[in-house]
Amino acid sequence: MEKTATQKIKLGIFVIVGLLIFITTVYFIGKKQNIFGKTTEISSIFDNVNGLQLGNNVRYSGVSVGTVTAIEMINDTMIRVEMDIDDKIISHINKDAVAIISSDGLVGNKIISILPGKKNKIPVKEGDVIKSMKRLNTEDMLKTLNVTNENTAKITSNLVKITEEITKGKGTIGMLINDTTMSADLKEITQGLKESATSLSQLTTSLNSKDNVIGVLNDTGTANSIKQTLKNLENSSLKIDDAVKNLNTTITNAKEGKGAINYLSNDPKLVQKIDSIMTNINKASIKLNENMEAMRHNFLFRGYFKKQEKEQKKNQKNSSSK
Amino acid sequence: MEKPTLNKPIIIIKDLMKSYGDNNVLNGFNMELNEGENLVIMGKSGSGKSVMIKCLIGLEEADSGSIEIMGKDIMALEQEEMDDLRTEIGFLFQGSALYDSMSVRENLEFPLRRHTKKFGIIEDTTPMVVTALKNVGLENAINLMPNELSGGMKRRIALARTLILQPKVILYDEPTTGLDPITSKEIIMLMQSVQEKYKTSSLIITHDVDCARVIANRMILLVDGINYAEGTFQELATSKDPKVQAFFK
Amino acid sequence: MNTIFKISEPIQSFLTEIGELSYFSGRFFKEVGKRPYEFKEFLKQCYNMGYQSLLLVGVTGFIIGLVFTLQSRPTLQQFGAVSWMPSMVSISIIREIGPIITALICAGRIGSGIGAELGSMRVTEQIDAMEVSGTNPYKFLVVTRILATTLMLPILVFFADAIAIYGSFLVENTKGNVSFLLYFNQVFRHLEFSDLIPSTIKTFFFGFAIGLVGCFKGYNCKKGTAGVGIAANSAVVYTSMLLFIIDFIAVLVTDIFYN
Repeated sequence: MEKTATQKIKLGIFVIVGLLIFITTVYFIGKKQNIFGKTTEISSIFDNVNGLQLGNNVRYSGVSVGTVTAIEMINDTMIRVEMDIDDKIISHINKDAVAIISSDGLVGNKIISILPGKKNKIPVKEGDVIKSMKRLNTEDMLKTLNVTNENTAKITSNLVKITEEITKGKGTIGMLINDTTMSADLKEITQGLKESATSLSQLTTSLNSKDNVIGVLNDTGTANSIKQTLKNLENSSLKIDDAVKNLNTTITNAKEGKGAINYLSNDPKLVQKIDSIMTNINKASIKLNENMEAMRHNFLFRGYFKKQEKEQKKNQKNSSSK
Repeated sequence: MEKPTLNKPIIIIKDLMKSYGDNNVLNGFNMELNEGENLVIMGKSGSGKSVMIKCLIGLEEADSGSIEIMGKDIMALEQEEMDDLRTEIGFLFQGSALYDSMSVRENLEFPLRRHTKKFGIIEDTTPMVVTALKNVGLENAINLMPNELSGGMKRRIALARTLILQPKVILYDEPTTGLDPITSKEIIMLMQSVQEKYKTSSLIITHDVDCARVIANRMILLVDGINYAEGTFQELATSKDPKVQAFFK
Repeated sequence: MNTIFKISEPIQSFLTEIGELSYFSGRFFKEVGKRPYEFKEFLKQCYNMGYQSLLLVGVTGFIIGLVFTLQSRPTLQQFGAVSWMPSMVSISIIREIGPIITALICAGRIGSGIGAELGSMRVTEQIDAMEVSGTNPYKFLVVTRILATTLMLPILVFFADAIAIYGSFLVENTKGNVSFLLYFNQVFRHLEFSDLIPSTIKTFFFGFAIGLVGCFKGYNCKKGTAGVGIAANSAVVYTSMLLFIIDFIAVLVTDIFYN
């Protein structure tokens, strides 16, 4: 009999301790989820909850203050998220607070972060709806980038068209521009650009070919100076690019403007703008030419440029004789 | 042995059949146990003695035939009624069948659990346990565990457990198996004294001739699943039948 | 025809076994509510199965906690995520490791124990003796044992979980200088009811399976001492298999309800 009595006590202790462990766990999980404290329910409306789940935490300025209690679709773009907020905290949350869905760490659960409001000092009440903010996620970022890309592509194609037309000296632009000086200027510029581009491409091809002087280059100093020159060239062409872009916008403006070139020529600001662009382009091509000149003076390239000159002269002779 | 004074049958078995698959163990066994008598059933191993006695107490279900105990057809009884009837029947198992996990006292109290519930009285079981143990001469073993007992003691405790409800009938399944001759004799003596004291009827299954000689008022020889021969020990022992003779050699 | 029969024989016996087991468990539900209640025997079994298993389960849990932490720490360290250790350990121990390890240990200790005990009781006619005494042996032996394992296993799992997490804390404490309070907070930081409740419900089924199969094998033990050995052995084997099946089903069901 005595034996069973002690057995019963041991069993009792065993069961009680076991249940205590369980109850403690339940209590602490519940405490985390604010099940046992008094809470106030507020809500917010999102267009995307990013996989938020019931029971996810709500944080206010980084402090855990409650849990998500309901997620319901109101219509195709609105999702109402209800959350229970600890009563001890509720007085600190103002009506203009903003809810935002983010995640707890890089790979953690989704949480709702409530950002404190600024102006309004009225605390939220039971059933209040606070504003939400769209969370910038990677997908959105990629979308934006995509749009940017598309725009860039469009601009480039436009630019190509315009430059083509400019080169041909006809088309809308050509006809639109009555100002002979300006068109002459433009022609000159494009001519200059063309020349620079051809000489640039010639230079690079010859640089690439083995039998060129550069192939036997050993002197690093010279190589560095060549590098520098090439860099300058690059800068110049970048500037030209910019200038052409500006030109593009101007021309687009001209295109879209009423009465086309009349409007353009009547608007002194635009003309001024075009003028300044022209100057820029001019400057850029001058710089490019300077670079070319500098290269020409370099003894290594001397032979190459002389050859070019000779060929040019030959061509001229040929064309004149024809 | 003196002839029983009362001849009213307490157990009647008619045409009992039992088979396991193709093996017919009992082929129409008939038997009557009269009040106050010691009936010994002898048979070889596998002759169906144990099966018969298990059918009698309801541990096995017979295929056909009828078993009547104290006027009740046990085949037709509900579980509850059967349990009630079982309190009137003691059963001494072949291997004592003491509950290993319980002390001697708990073993003896076990049959009383139902008994006490039946009458709705929470009795102090101690006097009953002590009396039963005194009957088998083992009062001192009350707090021992079965594994601390010898084979003979176990058998005696088992007998005490059988007796504790003071049944009208006691069924003995090989009461002397596995015991040395001296202990066997002690058990047989005990059985006799119990029978005299409580005026019980006994059905004894054995293949021990010595046991049968001492205790039997009447004997039945069970051969091939039927009651082959019946009579007093003297009658059977002097029988000319070779099959009967085989038991007494 | 002959070969088909030969192949179908094990399947047949398997199906028979499943059928018998189903009847056996059905009988449990039929008899569990019926009077008389064997309360004393139930408490005794609770003591044997619950309290007496505590040391074994505790030691196992402690070692699992230690080993699990030591093994997973280097990997987390590579990611610089050692601070995730407590949450990871607590979630995996509470969700899976605690219940299944405890259940397997108990299948070994309790399942085989019941199988052997009831098996030997069957062989030595003790079960028959009970029946003859007018006590329903199924109620007295089987119902009490199944109830005891069903109710004790969850409690053992609570202990195992707590001890395993404590073991994990000891490793973190010595290797990472994490205070108990921080560890404690971290443990509960990511723990949800969806981690605790399904795995607790699961343990009741584990307990039931251990008791049921142990009793089934023991209660239907074949005659002879060899039968007892087979009963004990097959109780453990079948229980372990059943535990994993239950575990799998539990995970599926949890998945449906919580996602």
